[in-house]
Amino acid sequence: MKQRARRKTPASAVRWARQIVARVEQILALHPDADRDNIRHTLILLELPPLERLQRSLTRGRATAIFRK
Amino acid sequence: MVVGLSAATLQGAPVVTQDVDLWFQNLADPKLSSALQEVGAAYVPPSINNPPMFAGAGAELFDIVIRMDGLGSFSREMRNCIEVPLGRHQLKVLSLDRILASKLAANRPKDKLTIPVLRDALAAAQFKKKPVKKPALNHSKLHFPRKT
Repeated sequence: MKQRARRKTPASAVRWARQIVARVEQILALHPDADRDNIRHTLILLELPPLERLQRSLTRGRATAIFRK
Repeated sequence: MVVGLSAATLQGAPVVTQDVDLWFQNLADPKLSSALQEVGAAYVPPSINNPPMFAGAGAELFDIVIRMDGLGSFSREMRNCIEVPLGRHQLKVLSLDRILASKLAANRPKDKLTIPVLRDALAAAQFKKKPVKKPALNHSKLHFPRKT
Protein backbone atom coordinates (compact mmCIF):
# COMPACT_ATOMS: atom_id res chain seq x y z
CA MET A 1 0.00 0.00 0.00
CA LYS A 2 1.26 3.45 -0.83
CA GLN A 3 2.56 5.22 2.23
CA ARG A 4 2.49 8.91 2.85
CA ALA A 5 5.81 10.57 2.18
CA ARG A 6 7.11 12.06 5.40
CA ARG A 7 8.32 15.60 5.20
CA LYS A 8 11.16 15.66 7.67
CA THR A 9 12.31 19.24 7.52
CA PRO A 10 10.54 22.62 7.29
CA ALA A 11 12.28 23.16 3.93
CA SER A 12 10.88 19.93 2.49
CA ALA A 13 7.43 20.80 3.89
CA VAL A 14 7.58 24.15 2.11
CA ARG A 15 8.68 22.46 -1.14
CA TRP A 16 5.78 20.02 -0.85
CA ALA A 17 3.31 22.85 -0.18
CA ARG A 18 4.59 24.74 -3.23
CA GLN A 19 4.13 21.63 -5.39
CA ILE A 20 0.56 21.25 -4.15
CA VAL A 21 -0.20 24.93 -4.84
CA ALA A 22 1.31 24.62 -8.35
CA ARG A 23 -0.88 21.58 -9.08
CA VAL A 24 -3.96 23.39 -7.74
CA GLU A 25 -3.22 26.26 -10.14
CA GLN A 26 -2.84 23.86 -13.07
CA ILE A 27 -6.17 22.20 -12.27
CA LEU A 28 -7.91 25.55 -11.80
CA ALA A 29 -6.62 26.61 -15.21
CA LEU A 30 -8.46 23.62 -16.69
CA HIS A 31 -11.51 23.91 -14.39
CA PRO A 32 -11.95 27.61 -13.55
CA ASP A 33 -15.26 26.97 -11.73
CA ALA A 34 -13.73 24.45 -9.32
CA ASP A 35 -13.24 25.36 -5.68
CA ARG A 36 -9.60 25.87 -4.75
CA ASP A 37 -9.96 24.25 -1.31
CA ASN A 38 -11.71 21.15 -2.66
CA ILE A 39 -8.93 20.65 -5.19
CA ARG A 40 -6.19 21.17 -2.59
CA HIS A 41 -7.78 18.82 -0.06
CA THR A 42 -8.27 16.13 -2.72
CA LEU A 43 -4.62 16.34 -3.79
CA ILE A 44 -3.51 16.04 -0.17
CA LEU A 45 -5.86 13.11 0.50
CA LEU A 46 -4.60 11.33 -2.62
CA GLU A 47 -1.20 11.12 -0.93
CA LEU A 48 -2.69 8.99 1.87
CA PRO A 49 -3.49 5.27 1.62
CA PRO A 50 -7.18 4.74 0.61
CA LEU A 51 -8.15 3.14 3.90
CA GLU A 52 -6.73 6.05 5.88
CA ARG A 53 -8.86 8.41 3.77
CA LEU A 54 -11.95 6.33 4.60
CA GLN A 55 -11.06 6.15 8.29
CA ARG A 56 -10.72 9.94 8.52
CA SER A 57 -14.02 10.47 6.71
CA LEU A 58 -15.88 8.03 8.96
CA THR A 59 -14.31 9.42 12.14
CA ARG A 60 -15.38 12.97 11.25
CA GLY A 61 -18.78 11.94 9.87
CA ARG A 62 -19.71 9.89 12.91
CA ALA A 63 -18.39 12.50 15.34
CA THR A 64 -20.55 15.12 13.62
CA ALA A 65 -23.58 12.83 13.86
CA ILE A 66 -23.02 12.34 17.62
CA PHE A 67 -22.57 16.08 18.08
CA ARG A 68 -25.91 16.73 16.35
CA LYS A 69 -27.80 14.38 18.72
CA MET B 1 -19.13 -3.19 -4.28
CA VAL B 2 -18.51 -0.11 -2.12
CA VAL B 3 -20.68 2.80 -3.30
CA GLY B 4 -21.71 6.25 -2.06
CA LEU B 5 -19.55 8.74 -0.22
CA SER B 6 -17.37 6.08 1.41
CA ALA B 7 -16.40 4.98 -2.11
CA ALA B 8 -15.72 8.63 -2.95
CA THR B 9 -13.44 9.06 0.07
CA LEU B 10 -11.46 5.95 -0.92
CA GLN B 11 -10.75 7.84 -4.17
CA GLY B 12 -9.66 11.05 -2.41
CA ALA B 13 -12.86 13.12 -2.28
CA PRO B 14 -12.80 15.42 0.78
CA VAL B 15 -16.24 14.42 2.11
CA VAL B 16 -17.40 12.91 5.38
CA THR B 17 -19.71 9.97 5.79
CA GLN B 18 -21.28 8.00 8.63
CA ASP B 19 -21.31 4.55 7.07
CA VAL B 20 -20.04 2.35 4.28
CA ASP B 21 -22.70 1.64 1.65
CA LEU B 22 -22.42 -1.80 0.08
CA TRP B 23 -24.21 -2.80 -3.12
CA PHE B 24 -24.63 -6.55 -3.53
CA GLN B 25 -25.45 -8.46 -6.67
CA ASN B 26 -27.13 -11.19 -4.65
CA LEU B 27 -28.07 -10.76 -1.00
CA ALA B 28 -28.81 -14.50 -0.80
CA ASP B 29 -25.18 -15.38 -1.53
CA PRO B 30 -24.11 -17.90 1.16
CA LYS B 31 -20.67 -16.23 1.32
CA LEU B 32 -22.36 -13.09 2.66
CA SER B 33 -24.02 -14.89 5.57
CA SER B 34 -20.82 -16.74 6.45
CA ALA B 35 -18.86 -13.45 6.39
CA LEU B 36 -21.45 -11.87 8.67
CA GLN B 37 -21.30 -14.84 11.05
CA GLU B 38 -17.53 -14.44 11.31
CA VAL B 39 -17.96 -10.93 12.74
CA GLY B 40 -20.96 -11.84 14.92
CA ALA B 41 -23.49 -10.08 12.71
CA ALA B 42 -26.56 -11.14 10.76
CA TYR B 43 -28.64 -10.13 7.75
CA VAL B 44 -32.10 -8.75 8.54
CA PRO B 45 -34.44 -9.14 5.54
CA PRO B 46 -36.66 -6.22 4.51
CA SER B 47 -40.07 -5.77 6.11
CA ILE B 48 -42.98 -3.47 5.19
CA ASN B 49 -41.40 -0.27 6.49
CA ASN B 50 -37.75 -1.24 6.81
CA PRO B 51 -35.13 -1.85 4.16
CA PRO B 52 -32.79 -4.84 4.42
CA MET B 53 -30.01 -4.27 6.93
CA PHE B 54 -27.16 -5.81 8.83
CA ALA B 55 -27.39 -6.24 12.60
CA GLY B 56 -24.61 -6.83 15.09
CA ALA B 57 -21.59 -4.95 16.36
CA GLY B 58 -19.28 -6.21 13.61
CA ALA B 59 -21.47 -4.77 10.88
CA GLU B 60 -22.67 -1.49 12.38
CA LEU B 61 -20.62 0.58 9.93
CA PHE B 62 -22.22 -1.03 6.89
CA ASP B 63 -25.44 -0.26 5.07
CA ILE B 64 -27.07 -2.28 2.31
CA VAL B 65 -27.89 -0.54 -0.95
CA ILE B 66 -30.50 -2.21 -3.11
CA ARG B 67 -30.57 0.27 -5.98
CA MET B 68 -28.56 3.24 -7.18
CA ASP B 69 -30.33 6.22 -8.75
CA GLY B 70 -29.21 7.07 -12.26
CA LEU B 71 -27.01 4.01 -12.68
CA GLY B 72 -27.30 0.79 -14.65
CA SER B 73 -27.56 -2.74 -13.32
CA PHE B 74 -25.05 -4.11 -10.81
CA SER B 75 -23.23 -6.15 -13.46
CA ARG B 76 -23.06 -3.17 -15.78
CA GLU B 77 -21.68 -0.87 -13.06
CA MET B 78 -19.12 -3.51 -12.05
CA ARG B 79 -17.36 -2.54 -15.28
CA ASN B 80 -17.04 1.00 -13.87
CA CYS B 81 -15.51 0.02 -10.57
CA ILE B 82 -11.92 0.34 -9.46
CA GLU B 83 -10.03 -2.03 -7.19
CA VAL B 84 -8.59 -0.83 -3.89
CA PRO B 85 -6.11 -3.12 -2.13
CA LEU B 86 -7.38 -4.35 1.25
CA GLY B 87 -4.99 -6.84 2.85
CA ARG B 88 -4.84 -9.88 0.57
CA HIS B 89 -8.00 -8.81 -1.25
CA GLN B 90 -8.99 -6.26 -3.86
CA LEU B 91 -12.00 -4.20 -2.81
CA LYS B 92 -14.44 -3.33 -5.61
CA VAL B 93 -15.27 0.37 -5.42
CA LEU B 94 -17.65 2.31 -7.69
CA SER B 95 -15.70 4.90 -9.69
CA LEU B 96 -15.91 8.57 -8.74
CA ASP B 97 -17.61 9.63 -11.98
CA ARG B 98 -20.38 7.05 -11.46
CA ILE B 99 -20.84 8.15 -7.82
CA LEU B 100 -21.27 11.70 -9.11
CA ALA B 101 -23.78 10.46 -11.72
CA SER B 102 -25.85 8.75 -9.00
CA LYS B 103 -25.78 11.84 -6.76
CA LEU B 104 -26.89 14.03 -9.69
CA ALA B 105 -29.76 11.62 -10.40
CA ALA B 106 -30.85 11.30 -6.75
CA ASN B 107 -30.59 15.08 -6.23
CA ARG B 108 -31.71 14.98 -2.58
CA PRO B 109 -30.81 17.99 -0.44
CA LYS B 110 -27.87 16.12 1.09
CA ASP B 111 -26.69 15.11 -2.39
CA LYS B 112 -26.81 18.71 -3.58
CA LEU B 113 -24.26 19.60 -0.88
CA THR B 114 -21.76 17.01 -2.03
CA ILE B 115 -22.13 17.34 -5.83
CA PRO B 116 -19.73 20.32 -6.22
CA VAL B 117 -17.16 18.66 -3.94
CA LEU B 118 -17.34 15.40 -5.91
CA ARG B 119 -17.05 17.31 -9.18
CA ASP B 120 -13.91 19.11 -7.97
CA ALA B 121 -12.44 15.89 -6.55
CA LEU B 122 -12.99 14.19 -9.90
CA ALA B 123 -11.15 17.01 -11.68
CA ALA B 124 -8.23 16.73 -9.23
CA ALA B 125 -8.11 12.93 -9.37
CA GLN B 126 -8.16 12.89 -13.17
CA PHE B 127 -5.39 15.48 -13.25
CA LYS B 128 -3.32 13.39 -10.84
CA LYS B 129 -3.72 10.38 -13.15
CA LYS B 130 -2.96 12.29 -16.34
CA PRO B 131 -0.89 15.39 -15.62
CA VAL B 132 -1.16 18.03 -18.30
CA LYS B 133 1.85 18.05 -20.54
CA LYS B 134 3.80 21.26 -20.32
CA PRO B 135 3.85 23.10 -23.65
CA ALA B 136 7.10 22.66 -25.53
CA LEU B 137 9.47 25.51 -24.87
CA ASN B 138 9.95 27.92 -27.70
CA HIS B 139 13.64 28.69 -27.23
CA SER B 140 13.58 31.62 -29.63
CA LYS B 141 11.26 33.45 -27.20
CA LEU B 142 13.30 32.72 -24.08
CA HIS B 143 15.00 35.65 -22.53
CA PHE B 144 18.24 35.16 -20.64
CA PRO B 145 19.47 38.13 -18.63
CA ARG B 146 22.94 39.15 -19.61
CA LYS B 147 25.71 38.82 -17.10
CA THR B 148 27.05 42.15 -16.02
